[in-house]
Order: sequence, then C-alpha cells, then structure tokens
Amino acid sequence: MIISAADQHFDQKTKAQAALYQVIDPELFVNVIDLGLIYEIEFKENGAIDVLMTLSTPHCPMGDAITNGVKNALEAEFPGKNVNINLTFNPPWNFAMLTPSGKEQLGV
Amino acid sequence: MADLNIAKNPPNFAVLPFYATGALAFFVLCLLIFLSPDSLVVHYFNPHLLAIVHTAALGWGTMIIFGAAHQMVPVICEQDLFSPKMAAFSWYTLTAGILLLAWSFWNMRTGWVMISGGSLIVLSAAMYVINVLGTSRIYKRCDIEKLFLVTSGTWFLFTTIAGLLLATNLAFPFFEKNHLDILKLHAHAGLVGWFLQLITGVSSKLVPMFLLGKSSKERFLKYAYLLQNLGLLLFLFDGYFFGITSRIIIYTAIVFIGALFWLLYLYDAYEQRIRKKIEIQMKHTFVSVICLIFGFVAIPFVYFLGGRQWAVLYGMFLLMGWVTGIVLGKTFKTLPFIVWNAHYKNLSGKIKVPMPKQLYNEGLIKWQFMFYILAVFISSAGIIAQNVPLVRIAGGTWLLVAVMYIYNVIKILMHKTIIPQ
Repeated sequence: MIISAADQHFDQKTKAQAALYQVIDPELFVNVIDLGLIYEIEFKENGAIDVLMTLSTPHCPMGDAITNGVKNALEAEFPGKNVNINLTFNPPWNFAMLTPSGKEQLGV
Repeated sequence: MADLNIAKNPPNFAVLPFYATGALAFFVLCLLIFLSPDSLVVHYFNPHLLAIVHTAALGWGTMIIFGAAHQMVPVICEQDLFSPKMAAFSWYTLTAGILLLAWSFWNMRTGWVMISGGSLIVLSAAMYVINVLGTSRIYKRCDIEKLFLVTSGTWFLFTTIAGLLLATNLAFPFFEKNHLDILKLHAHAGLVGWFLQLITGVSSKLVPMFLLGKSSKERFLKYAYLLQNLGLLLFLFDGYFFGITSRIIIYTAIVFIGALFWLLYLYDAYEQRIRKKIEIQMKHTFVSVICLIFGFVAIPFVYFLGGRQWAVLYGMFLLMGWVTGIVLGKTFKTLPFIVWNAHYKNLSGKIKVPMPKQLYNEGLIKWQFMFYILAVFISSAGIIAQNVPLVRIAGGTWLLVAVMYIYNVIKILMHKTIIPQ
C-alpha cells in the first residue's frame, strides 16, 4: 500500500498504516503491511473506513483472525468509525507484494 | 464484514476430542510396545501385535486424522463442515470401537465384543464418509484434492468392512479363502487406500500453504491418483481371486510410482517456496517420507526372504515411521492454530496476543523429533536382529516421544486466554 503525500487523508492513512503494523499473521509471524495484504484504505465522507485487502491464500484457516485483527486495530485507532473489510483475491497475493522488511522477516 | 467466504472453522467439539484421545492412544501404543516387545519378533499374526497395530492405525493415526480432517476438509473444500454433530458423534463410536477391538485382540477374545468393536468402527467410517461427501460437494465441482479426500474415505470404509468380516470370521468361520490372505488385503486397503491417499490429498494442499510455495504441476497429482488406485485395485483383485503371488512386486511398483508423483509435486512446491526457513514440524514430514520409501523397499524382502522380521519391519516403517512422523509434526501445524483461533480470533488487533507457537513448548518439539528418529532406528535394529531387549529399549524411546508429545498437546488444550494488564 503506497500513501501519496498529496492524498487529502494522508495523516489518517499513515496513522492507519502504523496501527496495522501491529496486526500479525499468526502463521507467518509477519505484520499485514509488510506482507502486502492491505491493498487500499479509504476514508469515506460518511465517516466509514473501507479496507481492501487480501490473504496469502484463499483457503487460509487464519483468515477470520487476520481480518478481525485489521478491523479491531482500526476501530481502536479511530474510535467511533465504522470499519468495513472488503476481501479480494483479484489480484491474488504474490511474492512481489512483500515489502523489503517483509522479505527479510521471512528469510527471503 | 468480508464479502468473500474465508475461514470455515467447525465447532471445537468436532475437532479437539480427537486430538486429546489420539495423544492418549499414542501413549498407550508406546506402552504396549514397551510391555510386549516379544510380540514384534514373532509372526505378525499374534494377539498383542494385532492390538498394537489396531491401536496405532485406528486409535492414533485415524483418530488424529479424523480431528484434523474435520478442521481441514472445510478449508480445502471452502464449505462449512456438513455435520459437526455427526463428526462429534463419530468420536464416541470410534473411541468405543477401538477400546473394544484393542481389548479383544490383546486378550484374543473372539466373539461379540470384537465384532461390536468392529461394527462401531464401520459406523464411524460411514459417518466420516458422509461428512466428507457432504462437505466436498464433489458432485457439483470436482478437483484432485477433493477426489483424494473422498476416495480415501471410501477406502477407509471398505477397509473397516473387510476388518469386520475378518473379526466375524475369527468367531464364526465362513471365509472360503485363507484368513491371512484376506488380512493382507484388508491391511493394504487401509495403508494405500486410506492413509496414503488421504495424506497425498491433504498434504498437496497444506504443504504449499505452509511453505508459501505453489506448484504448477497439478498433473502429477492426477498421475498419483490414478497409479495409487490402479496398483491397489490390481493387488486386491489378483490377491482375492488368485492369491498373493510375486505379481505383488508389479503392483507395489505401480503404487510406488504413484507415490513418487505426489512427492515430486511436493518437491516442486518446496523449490518454489517463498518461506525459506523450514520449521521442525516440516522436518518431521521429511523423515516420515523417508520411512515411507523404506516401507516400499521392504516389500521385496517380505515376499522373497520370507523371514517374519521383514513383515514386522515393513509395518513398523509405515505405522511408526511414516504415519506417526507426519502426525507428530502436523499436530503442531494445526492444533495450536485451532486453539489460538478459539481464544484470540476476536482479540487480535485489540491487544497484544500470544502467537500460536507460544501455546506449546517449541524446544520440546526438537527433542521429540530427535527421539522419534532414534526410536525408528532402534526399532528397526531390534526387529531385524530379532532382539527382544533392543525392541524393549525402542519401546522405551517411543514412550519418551509420547510423553513429550502428550505434554505439549495437553499444554495447548489447557491453554487459558492471556490478557495483558
């Protein structure tokens, strides 16, 4: 996920990103940002936060835990805002989506 | 929340009792080997070894597989478990069936107790097949992993029915064929039909998932499916109608090539993996596969050399080396996550929660791995040398493995939610 400095929600998105560094994939022990699971975070006019994200595999048994973690972390960071998680496998997650830090944590 | 259906976790009552009972059965199994080492140096058709083999195949291997399958089949099939209640009920029938069967074999009491035990096992197998069929919905959409799951379940049902007939034949003889020949067919339907095909199907999905490696050579799995089933069917047909002959070497080769295609598929996923570090749980799988290959290699010895030690060695490689190795490792790739999900799924992101691997003693798994290899090695030496004290030492080593395993399983199952102040 790349946040443009020109983005009108730059500060909020940076805060959201920082919160999501605390959400760890329990199987891989790497946070969802460094894994590249978060595609987009949108702050809506109505106060809602829409997250477009993926999982490392469509059959991930920890999928619920990861999406819950993202929702919980953002609700804690932005009290009172409604967080919607939209899961997509288009495009499917792949190796190139890892950040350099994520690659390092996975020993790549 | 999410617009795609992802996690399909069944209720814990359909999963956790199987893990707890399987761990206990593993301890009992190792204790039986320790208490009766002489049963491993005589002909395999003896009461104590029959009890040991059925405790291993049903109480240990199948019990854990049932628990893991109730959790993983919905993941593989992307559907809710067809009937969690039926899954839970199958624990009662499987546990009661194994207790009756193992007791009957150990004391060689043929008759209604043994037949009742066998009937309960058949009932458990039938419920398992219904659950797998209903969850997979294979009649709507078929893929190779589902095919392995459904076919292995069907072979398991076939195996248990053949076993029930064998148990009945011991009390009320009605077979026109040789009892021991039918026993060989029953055993191999279980080993190749149930264990090999289930492990092939499940591992083809899970190993790439655990390694973050994807193989594009799915055709290998199709060859594996065809060859494993062809070899088994030919063996059963020929064995039943014409007896066990040297043609079994051909059928062994066909099944072996089928197994090799599966292993080539896993190797390709391993080569493509993103996750470079190989965990101790995956190392268990590697050693277990070596035991499987040793098992295949032992078959010509069993047939051509004819010594009673080769048949026992063959069974040891498959049940204690291969099936046990996989279960010892995969338990800690599934159970901590199942329990973690129950405790922390809704807390993740809110507070700092422990990771699944912190639910058990990881250092102990390394010792468990080393003692497992040692136990296989000593068992092999003791069986080949027909040395009772050495087999007893092997039994003691297996007991140590069981104690380490059961300690970690109990630690996970008894975990209490940790909420930092």
